[in-house]
Amino acid sequence: MRYARFISSFILLATLLSPLARADQLADIKKKGEIIVGVLGTDEPNSFIDPATRKIVGYDVDLSEAIAKKLGVKLTLKQLSVAARIPELEQGRIDLLAASLTHNKEREAKIDFSLTTLVTGQRVMVRKDSGITAVPQLAGKKVLTVKGGTQEPNIRKAVPTADVITFETSLQAFIGLQQGKGLGYVNDEVSLFNNYGKLGDAQKDYIILPQNLSIEPLALGIRKGESGLKKEVDDALRALEKSGEAERLFFKWYGPNSKVKLDKRTFKIDSDKVDG
Amino acid sequence: MSFDLNLLLAGTYHDWLIQGLRLSLGMAGITLVLALPLAITVAMFRLSPLRALQWLGATFVESIRNVPLLAHMLFWYFGAPELLPDGIKRWLYAGNIEVLSAIAALTLYTAAYMAEDIRSGIRGISSGQFEAGRSLGFSFLGTMRLIILPQALRVTIPPLVSQTLNLWKNTSIATVIGVGELMYQAAKVESTAFRSAEAFAFATLCYLSVSLILTVLGLLYRRRFPVRVA
Amino acid sequence: MSLIEVIQTYWVYFLIGQFPDGPLGGLSLTIVLAAGGLLLAFPLGLALAIARMSPWPILSWPVTSIVYVIRGTPLLMVLFWAYFFLPSITGQKISQFSTMLGALVLFNAAYLSEIFRAGIQALPTGQFEAARSLGLSYFASLRLVVMPQVMRNMLPSLVNQFVSTIKDTSLGYIIGLSEVSFIASQINNLVLTKPTEIYLVLALAYFLLCFGLSRFAFWLERRHARSSVLGGDRSKMSHPAKSKLTEQT
Repeated sequence: MRYARFISSFILLATLLSPLARADQLADIKKKGEIIVGVLGTDEPNSFIDPATRKIVGYDVDLSEAIAKKLGVKLTLKQLSVAARIPELEQGRIDLLAASLTHNKEREAKIDFSLTTLVTGQRVMVRKDSGITAVPQLAGKKVLTVKGGTQEPNIRKAVPTADVITFETSLQAFIGLQQGKGLGYVNDEVSLFNNYGKLGDAQKDYIILPQNLSIEPLALGIRKGESGLKKEVDDALRALEKSGEAERLFFKWYGPNSKVKLDKRTFKIDSDKVDG
Repeated sequence: MSFDLNLLLAGTYHDWLIQGLRLSLGMAGITLVLALPLAITVAMFRLSPLRALQWLGATFVESIRNVPLLAHMLFWYFGAPELLPDGIKRWLYAGNIEVLSAIAALTLYTAAYMAEDIRSGIRGISSGQFEAGRSLGFSFLGTMRLIILPQALRVTIPPLVSQTLNLWKNTSIATVIGVGELMYQAAKVESTAFRSAEAFAFATLCYLSVSLILTVLGLLYRRRFPVRVA
Repeated sequence: MSLIEVIQTYWVYFLIGQFPDGPLGGLSLTIVLAAGGLLLAFPLGLALAIARMSPWPILSWPVTSIVYVIRGTPLLMVLFWAYFFLPSITGQKISQFSTMLGALVLFNAAYLSEIFRAGIQALPTGQFEAARSLGLSYFASLRLVVMPQVMRNMLPSLVNQFVSTIKDTSLGYIIGLSEVSFIASQINNLVLTKPTEIYLVLALAYFLLCFGLSRFAFWLERRHARSSVLGGDRSKMSHPAKSKLTEQT
């Protein structure tokens, strides 16, 4: 069949010619005076659109700004879908990922990570009238989440029989939960708390199940082997931690005055090691 | 990373992809069955002597064809069902609302295009035929059903086959509302196993094979029943 | 938040995205993409059409296969290949915008080639033969005699193809390109309580744009049928091309 041959030779080409090795990325960034950072823009409070200014804002954005400042270059944000994050970085279309990205062992094979910038759990929100009070009760039930993140594999691991339905953005899954199209909605804890905060009066109808599906260390993604850039990024993050700026940013986006309402910060930006 | 053919031949990922293919085919099949009668009805409306019906038919066709299928899908999934009363809503949502919404969107979208093909097929039949039918004492619908439609369908089959081909390709868009069809499963394999080349190659091959079969069927039909020029 | 407030808060974002402080988005990006995707596909589509009709099988055969492959694949699939695999082949960094544009150009070229081919074939062969017997070369006959007539005949089909392209740009949503469908979903996500209304506004925006254009195509067709010497013949010819070829996604 001629189509089959056409396709298979195409694939062969695509896989043989892996991305070309590039010169030092840090030098490139400095030379062009610009760092392109991939963000989601759809995951409040990490990165989302501010209606008043029509700009993307959030914790991820503030961190990126600090890094751009340290490097002395201009920051350009690029909006990405969750599923496209790692391919975009690998193919060099962005310099750095600040996109609610979980640092885990599987991904270490593909990309490098900065120091951990946020530690959050991953949990499930349900409607109260569903009667569900613990994660295992989701067996055989419809659970909604975002496509291409760690949420989907994590809930499958926790409840193998759950009927997981995924969408392009996590907030669409959240709307699905509100409309009753699924019984549970899985996301990172900080995003869940934020979404819960947005419910206003309807908060009484929802609960966030206490069990953590997993603990997710979030970090910035860096292309494999770009040690120069990684060092600069890590230095910038360490400086933020040392000056107390990191703590201030944490409370700005996740503190008691935000929708997330966390009252303490249980981690420090000081390690790029993860287990499991 | 080399191309791992075994991944596609057996195992979990294979099962996911096959499941996706089945659902895509199923959705296309059900949509076709639902869209055809709807399309014929709309075409009848547009050709009927009643102004109000003509207008209704035209509004249906234009309002649907001028909006992308993706927006239809989002509307039929996130928007429309919310307008239903609570009881029906809960009953619907307990079932497979994703597939239902996708089929609703696909059916309306496909029917709007097919209605136009059927209409131009009918208009291609000389008006003498219609008048002869009427003067033999058949009603409007009787003339249509017994004299015009059988002839029109013959002319209309090839464009309807290409609409079916479009329908087949359009099932891929259901991925945005969480329907576990072929595209969705390919993306799932990609994000779970990082085997994007294999998953997308499989999906592409499936889409192409079915498209090829439909194209060949269309060509065979045209050869078997060439359009007679009056 | 009432719908009026939603519109007041977000209408600028809906129309232009983050522009001018950020990239262009929203409805403007949709139009720019569709226009670019169609215009840039012209030369390629024409080349494909001419290659398909060329007297040399070595040229027509592979080109025909390519056109069939593209038309047998969902645009979404073409988009995924362009997005995830094209860069590994070319080694080029390309943005979501260029990816979408590239996929649209490729896709449109395949469809345009059919429109061009139908247009060229519908022209009485005497035109081409007359040009050749006047001593014009194969390409000169095409360029000077055949194409100008074909272009005029094909104008309605081209406007309809533009409508299809506008609708096709909605797939940018899936790769996170901030065209109007993506923006509408983003607004929906921020507002949370008005999905029906917001998606209706989105549908309405597309409708106004596409319906306006398809009326324009209809008007062109009418005017052309009236003014043309061979009016009857040609309007019949452009009709099947419109209904069969240009309706995509």
